[in-house]
Amino acid sequence: MIGERTITQVGARALAVSREIGGITILFGQILRALLPPRLDGRELIKNLHKMGNRSVPIVALTAFFAGGLMVVQSAPFVQRFEATSLAGWAAGYAVLREIGPILIALMFSGRVGANNTAELGTMTVTEQLDGLRALAIDPIQYLIVPRVLAMMVMLVCLTVIGDLVALLGAAAVAKAVLGIEWGIMYASFTENLTPQDFLHGVYKSCAFGLSIAVTSCYFGVTVRGGAVGVGRAVNAAVVAAAVSVMLLDFFLTYLDV
Amino acid sequence: MSGGDPGAAGLVVFRDVHKAFDGKPVLRGMDLAVGQGEILFIIGTSGVGKSVTIKHLVGFLRIDRGEIWFDGRRVDQLDEKGFYAVRRRVGMVFQNATLFDSMTLAENVALPLRKHKRLRPTAALAQAMGRLEQVYLTGFADRYPAELSDGMRKRAAIARTLTMDPEVVLFDEPTTDLDPVNARRIDRLIRELSRDLGVTSIVVSHDLTAIFTIADRVAFLYQGRVHALGTPDELRRSPDPVVQQFIGGHATGPMETPGF
Repeated sequence: MIGERTITQVGARALAVSREIGGITILFGQILRALLPPRLDGRELIKNLHKMGNRSVPIVALTAFFAGGLMVVQSAPFVQRFEATSLAGWAAGYAVLREIGPILIALMFSGRVGANNTAELGTMTVTEQLDGLRALAIDPIQYLIVPRVLAMMVMLVCLTVIGDLVALLGAAAVAKAVLGIEWGIMYASFTENLTPQDFLHGVYKSCAFGLSIAVTSCYFGVTVRGGAVGVGRAVNAAVVAAAVSVMLLDFFLTYLDV
Repeated sequence: MSGGDPGAAGLVVFRDVHKAFDGKPVLRGMDLAVGQGEILFIIGTSGVGKSVTIKHLVGFLRIDRGEIWFDGRRVDQLDEKGFYAVRRRVGMVFQNATLFDSMTLAENVALPLRKHKRLRPTAALAQAMGRLEQVYLTGFADRYPAELSDGMRKRAAIARTLTMDPEVVLFDEPTTDLDPVNARRIDRLIRELSRDLGVTSIVVSHDLTAIFTIADRVAFLYQGRVHALGTPDELRRSPDPVVQQFIGGHATGPMETPGF
């Protein structure tokens, strides 16, 4: 009987995951439809760009600086052993621009902005504020969701670009402090070994991560059931779903581009 | 109510409406017609389907069977997009006011003006101030909903709904949780809407004072149908023991109250 119960539980879980993937896909379709023709609420868009982007800069910069520095610390033993100081910048820069930057900042963004977005939309849902919008003949997808999705995509790309630059700065600073590598040598190592493609690879991945975090966080927000407890559950589910989707997207996008 | 032209029966017509949740029937063949400019109260015990009834008219819930007509047009089969046209003419004031937390009262009231009348933000805010004056809230225009009392929030929600110039306003328990003074202010506002602007009001309420003060007619919902319909005086004089038990607020009597 334990076997039967286990199969039932696995089946129920599979159905729940399928339902969520289906729901996210439908929401994505509704967002695309709401963009035709594009009738954006400019105030909502600007408000969200500011809230989601500007306020995330300090934490992203701090994280990126140390992430860049960490790449140098990790590669320091090899750089010292082979006296390959001219490659220190390449090693750190390649890892930062292609992987560490986009992934780390996306996960950071998901925890800070995505979770906040789910909690806000979830609270609006349980307090019937979304129904309040519908009662005023205002489409919540067009008015609330679309500006948030666009703001998240744009701002994650901007934050990734800023984060990349700060991470390279962090790498150079740590290289100078730990390995005594001059700024000029690190700069030359970056410019000679890294290509625009390395940078763009990270940027277009961050665009996809932004879309995925935005749609999942909105979906779990607008489908909240069960009051404050439901909002807590939704935030949890949104962060987990966003992290999983970011890792899966990263794998496939990297695989396709390499 | 079966047969005939539903448009002639009233501005809003519910015809043989059925609705069940998880297999449990709530509405079981409900018929009701509401006339232009009328203040109609829907009363009944909790869970009898009062709020469910009005939510059907604006498409927040879908009926299982039956028909709903508004201004001579059948609306129950509309999709979400189709209902937006109905919602521009039929406003709804929720029990919880549903003001947007992130906006001040003036911004809340200005939102429909910006979205539907395409007013610039400053012009919309100026008009919103006029609407807030109508509900005696001009001094609180810059406050956020969380800083205000329930009564103020409900009045602001009414002001926001009125910016749409609706022909029908659905009120879901507008005076519940309010002190008697604020409750009577809401009553007066509903009366003025009907008298001065010809707005039709459908009010879901338990508030007997409001019912006997401002209602033109009262529909008593019981066992999924309109059990009694008439003016407040007719209801008060009704010999029906179920009606008398409800109006008298007696704990014991013939009324069946499932789940109690």
